[in-house]
Amino acid sequence: MFRTTFRRELLEAISSSTLISALVVLTILVPLSAYIQARYYQRVFENYAIRQSIHQTENSSQAMVLLRPLPPLLPFFNGAYDSLPDEFRLRSDSATTNPPSGDLTPLDWLFPKIDLSFIIGVLMTLLTILLTHDTVAGDREKGTLKLILAGPIHRRTILAAKLTGVILLITIILILTVLLYTIVVTGFSGGTVELSVANLSVLALLIVVSLLVLIVIAALGVVISASVRSSLVSLAISTSIWIIAVLILPSLGPYIASSFKMVSTFEAAQRDIDLKEKELMQEELSEHRKIAADLKAQQIGVESAWQRFLELRRRWMERRNEEIGRLVKERKKLIRDQQDFARRISLFSPYVAFKVVLGSLCDTGVENYDEFLVAVELYRQQEFLPESFDLLSRQKPWLNAANPDDRLQLRPLQAPSPDLSERQTAAAWPLSILIAEMIILIIVGVLRFERYDVR
Amino acid sequence: MNNLSESPFLRKQTMGREGGRTWLIAKKEVMANVRNFKTPLALVTMTLLLLISAHVLALDYRNRLNNWSVNQIRQRDPAIGGSVMYELYDGSFSHREGAGRTPPIQPPQPFSAIVKGMDGEMDRIVSVSQRIVFGARQGEPATSALFDPPDTSFVMKLLVSLFALMFSLDTITREKETGTLRAMLAQPIRRWELILYKSLGASISLLAPLAIAFTCEIVYLHLAHGLISNREDISRVLLIFCLASLYGVVFVQIGLFISTITTRTKTAATTALLAWATIVLVLPNAAVLMAKLLTPTPSYNQLNARLYEARKSVIQKESGSPPTTRALPEGPVSRQALPRLFEIERQLTDDYLASKKDQNRQAKIFAALSPAGALTFGLSDISSTGVDAYNSYLELFRSGRDVMLDALKRRFELPPQAGDKLVREAREMVANKHRRAELLGASFRSSLISITSLFIWAVLLGLLACWRFKRYDVR
Repeated sequence: MFRTTFRRELLEAISSSTLISALVVLTILVPLSAYIQARYYQRVFENYAIRQSIHQTENSSQAMVLLRPLPPLLPFFNGAYDSLPDEFRLRSDSATTNPPSGDLTPLDWLFPKIDLSFIIGVLMTLLTILLTHDTVAGDREKGTLKLILAGPIHRRTILAAKLTGVILLITIILILTVLLYTIVVTGFSGGTVELSVANLSVLALLIVVSLLVLIVIAALGVVISASVRSSLVSLAISTSIWIIAVLILPSLGPYIASSFKMVSTFEAAQRDIDLKEKELMQEELSEHRKIAADLKAQQIGVESAWQRFLELRRRWMERRNEEIGRLVKERKKLIRDQQDFARRISLFSPYVAFKVVLGSLCDTGVENYDEFLVAVELYRQQEFLPESFDLLSRQKPWLNAANPDDRLQLRPLQAPSPDLSERQTAAAWPLSILIAEMIILIIVGVLRFERYDVR
Repeated sequence: MNNLSESPFLRKQTMGREGGRTWLIAKKEVMANVRNFKTPLALVTMTLLLLISAHVLALDYRNRLNNWSVNQIRQRDPAIGGSVMYELYDGSFSHREGAGRTPPIQPPQPFSAIVKGMDGEMDRIVSVSQRIVFGARQGEPATSALFDPPDTSFVMKLLVSLFALMFSLDTITREKETGTLRAMLAQPIRRWELILYKSLGASISLLAPLAIAFTCEIVYLHLAHGLISNREDISRVLLIFCLASLYGVVFVQIGLFISTITTRTKTAATTALLAWATIVLVLPNAAVLMAKLLTPTPSYNQLNARLYEARKSVIQKESGSPPTTRALPEGPVSRQALPRLFEIERQLTDDYLASKKDQNRQAKIFAALSPAGALTFGLSDISSTGVDAYNSYLELFRSGRDVMLDALKRRFELPPQAGDKLVREAREMVANKHRRAELLGASFRSSLISITSLFIWAVLLGLLACWRFKRYDVR
């Protein structure tokens, strides 16, 4: 009986016009967006090499530019990568790491890029709603529900069979979509996206997470279908929930959070830092003047004066780092609070949870960016500053002989590239919310169907 | 029968009666929608969402305005710098330190509280000298990078279309399912008139709540944030409403058309949802993707790489040495070579800006072919946060750069002090140039393509629905 119901559900879904038209849209859209993302990634990849070589020749003892490493799976999920700066200028005379420049992407403000996350998170969830909204109510309208229930079979078995049928179909479509997308991306990216074991395992995880999201949505459709009498009402309710959860709430979340938890604007924070920095600079200069006069009066040789100067410089550098670092850290904490708040009010939307998990899988999420910023700061303090100070201390400016090779020879920034297990722990919170939603919805669905009025 | 209708007197009478009856159809449609809670639902949802969106985006606008005004204050903060000379009996060295002024950012548009458009893209420091250096974008909440900004345009794009479909997709199928369609068509009324008045009824049921909700939003923005205050703003608001209603009417026609090609309300509903997702979510994005594919632009980093190469080649040509990888490109360029370098840099930057503008324009034309794309671009054009406003923003820097280049070239013909003064004045002038909101006429003109596209869609789909309904099987 399970198998009969299951097969019937599957056949019904396959023969529906909804599925056929959705498949048409998908077969056009998936290769198109994959192709464009692949070409885009290829360009970004080539740019990256050019930028790196430019910055390497431009690095001096006073300044260097750090590049954020490219996430290998960028074409699958753009995430926050394009809209956040990926270059940072480190300077030995400043305690801030300001991004020097940014690309102009005005069109992305009107229409965000279509990538795999959009195709799965928006289009396939809608398809799932359309396939599941009439599982119970539709059968009741047609009168077939009575016949099915007349057989010697538990109601929950029927529900399980129906749900399995839809989920099997969706799984097949999902796997085909990801496969097509992957093939097009690897084919047209000019070898920049390679299917290494790590990437393939991330893609496998991506399929699992997508499936989880789609099951949540399918269970939602079934719950609503088992709660109302007519399939039209069921469609209206589940579509409204879908629109709120997938389209409206994710957009509103960050803005609501920023209106509740105010953070000083970028320029205001920057001005505080600037004023502080200028104040410290004035103090340092006046102390230099005093020491210079003292040294001159004491008839001290230039070598030991240079040592005194270096010591003074180091002291001031440390002080500046400490005071400016405190200002930066305070603001960062406020921003993180705001982000957490935004997440808390929108994480129960499966789409948001999906994007958060994808971000940590593909290295393009907001958290990964924060990790990168931490890495930049560490690099600045542990590698750049000591090295540039070292370079300075080896110089002998009074000899008037320019050091021919006064460049920083630093190892490139190692991106915080967590291995798979660390990524999973980063994604644990949204994943557990998704799983909890799935379990709750399935239980509610079974309970509602048990006492469903068949007439 | 023929004779009767040819008699002018009788004809007039029947026309009058028919007119009354057709109006009755529209009225009945409106009343039915009120009674089955569709109109109240639309009213509540749209009012709520538009108010929330107005609130958060007005706060966002205030924040950005604040950001800009702090930037203006920063312009007047003193630049400090100084050097200390360590002079000792057997040698000397010096130490320099300094912090300069920050370049300006451009003020946000007040209408970005309603339609944010491309305005967020302009929240960046741009320094203009012989080159234009775009700083990184600042001030958006990082998490919002993942999703669309929830402005009025976004809410309208989703909800107006969805409610339009809700009001119109069952107009024919419901009548058929309840059997009233036969009775109605038995009356002396033409089928196209029926469709016309049905669409009129659905449009009224849609536009009345939209008008109320939008008015609430505007009143809120005016009272709480003092935003829409003069006559020009009100005409912009009216234009926004007109465009949104045109968009709604297009979707009413789509709903009617779907209603005429299906036989059951349920099929009509699923078809309409799929059509909605395709038209609203997929088509405009795909159009923009196509435009990007057809007019690829170099990225900003590519431009920087080219500028760097140009500088390197000029220096190498000057020194006459063969190109080596270790050549120091930041070495000084001599006075004779500078104008040539400026010219190359100018050419490269102009090409870059022109390709960006081209891409924007192309994307607008492509997207305007679909209703949702036309709405998004049209609304942002009216609010002067759209493509043309952005292109004139780029143009502002281009002309500023030309002024700077002119001053830098003429500097060499003057004595050093006068030359420095000239450059300083030019710099001051360029920094104080702010972008202004486009004039109403210009905004209207740039949104014409969207209005035309929506209008053509509405008429075409209406005709299509009439044509389909003519051969509709009533049984």
